[in-house]
Amino acid sequence: MPERRVTVQAEVGLHARPAATFVQRAAQAPIAVTVAKGGGEPVNAKSILSVLALDVRQGENVVISAEGEGAEELLDELAAIASAP
Amino acid sequence: MSTIVLAPVAGTALALAEVPDPVFSAGMVGPGVAIDPERRAGPVVAPVDGKIMKLHPHAFVIVGADGRGVLVHLGIDTVQLKGEGFELLAAEGDRVRAGWPVVAWDPAGIEATGRSPICPVVALDAASADVSGIAAGSVSVGAPLYTWR
Repeated sequence: MPERRVTVQAEVGLHARPAATFVQRAAQAPIAVTVAKGGGEPVNAKSILSVLALDVRQGENVVISAEGEGAEELLDELAAIASAP
Repeated sequence: MSTIVLAPVAGTALALAEVPDPVFSAGMVGPGVAIDPERRAGPVVAPVDGKIMKLHPHAFVIVGADGRGVLVHLGIDTVQLKGEGFELLAAEGDRVRAGWPVVAWDPAGIEATGRSPICPVVALDAASADVSGIAAGSVSVGAPLYTWR
């Protein structure tokens, strides 16, 4: 399955604005998207509750995965959001 | 099954659109309502029965038995305070009833740092249509704030 591994750069981690932006973009996609922290269990990237529960801090790695039409472009965008400072 | 979400603090209910933060005001986190709190130090209470899934000094999420999560964010940009001005009264993972204290704070102290003490109370992963009966005007702590269908 196509995936991207990125380091979260935002000082607040994948919370607040980065989390909301990330989830909003994922939720627009017609395909399933997951995000996992480090080697952990993937969660639904379209759920703000799930993403906040992951509790990704600045400097931690996430793996974003999706499969299907538009997956590569979607993953590029989500990776850019997750790794934005 | 519907959930009555209670006011975590006393104050004046405001539409999320009035929150001075584009992420909350655009509803990107979810639908709900904000409270402009009374400028009086005191406890912030759980808006629903459930488990404290995440507890930061400036924000917490409580997840009910039905899996619904409610976010209470204490002021805007308050993550920058790194906990200063907040006191935890519960622990992450605790099960609480609606109305139980979770954090103590002083909204006037937050305001004195130049930040807004407005508290968004957000229904996570909900659609706007799922939230109704939104309170307007003055609300007491623990009073019904909205219904999440």
